Amino acid sequence: MKVSSYQLFWLISISSMIVFSYLPIQLAAKESRQDAWISILLGCMIMMAITWIMLRVCMQNKDKTLVGFMKNLLGTVLGKIIVTVYFLLWFLQISSIARGTVEFQNLVMLHNTPMIVILLCFLFLVAYSVYRGGITAISRCAEIIGPFFVFILYGQLFLNPQDMDMKRILPIYADTGWIPILKGTLYSFNYMVDPSVILMLFFFAENKRTASRAILWGTAVAMIWGVLATLVVLFVTGPGMAAELVVPVYTLTKIVSILNFIQNIDALFIPLWLLGGFIKLSVYLFILSYGLSEWTGFKNWKLIACLTTFILLANVIYSTHNLRIGFTYTSLFQIGFFYPFVYIAIPLILWMIGSIRQRRKASNIN
Amino acid sequence: MIRGILLSCVFLILILSSTSCADFVEPNQLAFVIGGAIDHAEDGSIEVSYQIVIPSQLSSKGGSSGDSDSFVVMSAKGKDVFEASEKIQIKMSRRLLTSHRVTMAISEEYFNKNDVSKLFDKLSRDPANNLRDIVLLIKGGSAKEFLMLKHPMERLSSIAAGKELQINGLRKFTSRQLIVDYLSEGIRSLVPVLQVKNFKTSRKNTNPIAVLSGIAVLNKKLKVKGLLNEDEGSGAIWMSGKGTFKGVTIPWKNGKGILSFRLTHLQRRINSYSRNDSKRIVLTVKAQAYLLDNTTPLDTTDVDNKIEIQKYVNEQIQKELQLTMDKVQQWGPDVFGIGEHLHRKYPYWWKSQKDDWDEKFKNIEVTVKADILLRSTGATGAPLK
Repeated sequence: MKVSSYQLFWLISISSMIVFSYLPIQLAAKESRQDAWISILLGCMIMMAITWIMLRVCMQNKDKTLVGFMKNLLGTVLGKIIVTVYFLLWFLQISSIARGTVEFQNLVMLHNTPMIVILLCFLFLVAYSVYRGGITAISRCAEIIGPFFVFILYGQLFLNPQDMDMKRILPIYADTGWIPILKGTLYSFNYMVDPSVILMLFFFAENKRTASRAILWGTAVAMIWGVLATLVVLFVTGPGMAAELVVPVYTLTKIVSILNFIQNIDALFIPLWLLGGFIKLSVYLFILSYGLSEWTGFKNWKLIACLTTFILLANVIYSTHNLRIGFTYTSLFQIGFFYPFVYIAIPLILWMIGSIRQRRKASNIN
Repeated sequence: MIRGILLSCVFLILILSSTSCADFVEPNQLAFVIGGAIDHAEDGSIEVSYQIVIPSQLSSKGGSSGDSDSFVVMSAKGKDVFEASEKIQIKMSRRLLTSHRVTMAISEEYFNKNDVSKLFDKLSRDPANNLRDIVLLIKGGSAKEFLMLKHPMERLSSIAAGKELQINGLRKFTSRQLIVDYLSEGIRSLVPVLQVKNFKTSRKNTNPIAVLSGIAVLNKKLKVKGLLNEDEGSGAIWMSGKGTFKGVTIPWKNGKGILSFRLTHLQRRINSYSRNDSKRIVLTVKAQAYLLDNTTPLDTTDVDNKIEIQKYVNEQIQKELQLTMDKVQQWGPDVFGIGEHLHRKYPYWWKSQKDDWDEKFKNIEVTVKADILLRSTGATGAPLK
């Protein structure tokens, strides 16, 4: 299974933009009001840096996936234990995206359809694509969906010119100060992109050099969109309303009224978000099941993918009933320990160990 | 073979369920709500009325709409908007669809006796609302009455009201704008006022029609602090930066005839000057003027006359708008967004001033200046005699 750099670019940009349009804007605006865009910008810079570090790690271990090189660098026992944290992260991300998508469909369009029916259809599609084609099928889908998804989402930002008032983001900094701005960053940046995906995906890249460039560009495209989207939300609704909009990008599409003629275009965007959610979920399911198969030594990762889907289904249903599990995005444990650990601490440690080893190897040869 | 049958069965089930045929309401099962009305009801509840189109009546060629109405007004009382809507829904054979609502009429009584901001939550929380509808204040009678009116030109009174505002350049009075203004500290809302008046539209009949009759000035709690008439209202809209175009008529010096202009590209700019701890505001209004009616003896091809006219128009408009400004300032609500300007320019000063801004706004010195450019004096020079 090989993925070309072009496909990788779309994979990364779609799966980043889909979460960006859902969680971080409100989390940031709640803390930093009209300076939410600064929070988001800072978060984007942090995430770009993390992506860069992760790519360094990947380049040092071109011929292995995360599970492989973790074992190599940290030893079998420690490596295996720490990798489970990533499995947990991906699993949580899949369930929160799946739940969010289904809940949104129920709220907006399908009021009477049982949630489980939508969930089953959705997960069946995801599991099927992973089962039949693995990452090859997913990346081909991404190649097709990507251009539509990215361009339409970018285009959507410019559909509200008559409602925009640039002055709504003023005064910059004075009302909030650094502490709320940084707090906004802290709460939101974990949900902008998930750079840990590339630790697994990079192994499948055809040409490693162009792939790392594609991944950086893919992340950057999503980041720029995120900052612009935050600005547009603030321009259109002002800080007071933006802080309360749970699905801000959706609300933007509802307000669109071009020449009093093109209105109610949200129905056009909902399928698009579904396509984006499909790509995101399939990528996660693939890396999760492939990782698990390497971790357990059980070769048939397709079977694991099916089993994971069932566990996922159970978890999503359970978390819709247990609200506290499903909707805690800013708990101290997650913000203070979990995310920094998986996004910053481990990649840095891996990078350091990798560099030391390389240097030692080089000196040994000499 | 078996595999093929099995697959086609699975896909058939998937196609049927994933296109969500089971949970789909056909257009002929929908009731399109075009206008909404909110009225005060006794015992603290709220009366919601919906103006719903009857599609079968719309298709019959207009003209003889004498007997049959093309709409129906349904109303119910409830503790909040949702409860009342549900009570309306029970009476209906079709599902209410509020996404296409054009106007939202709220009676003056409701503004005075209830907290209008409580309506906002339903507007933004429920995705079935579009935030693009225009919010209107119905002076005098109830908002429900307004929905029941017939309009001589349009089929529905709420569409007529929406078009009336649109065509007269009042485009920024949507519910979204109202919510945004309400949530910011340095600006108060303006709401267009409609009043039902009787018009003799032909020799035989006299029709009650709801017409735009000014604009309401609301305070921080969305209570009506005062009503401005049409002229003052359009001036206030101009000064609050929400205007697009308007007409203006000015008597020439010494009562020698009258000049009328169409003003386009309405803009305003606020400048503030610090003097110790208080602020002095200069609000400059800008526009491009087209002279369209001239009963004075002035020959407008003469450049000296043009300069004279431009100077005079500026003076007169400045005087008129200053009067409106003073009137609103006496009431208190800062509908011009001067507080918001100060907030953006002096954020640290604003922190100490934002509480009770309406009271402080009364004592701010605001000077109105006009900067009107005479773009054209029309197609003739001196008046034809």
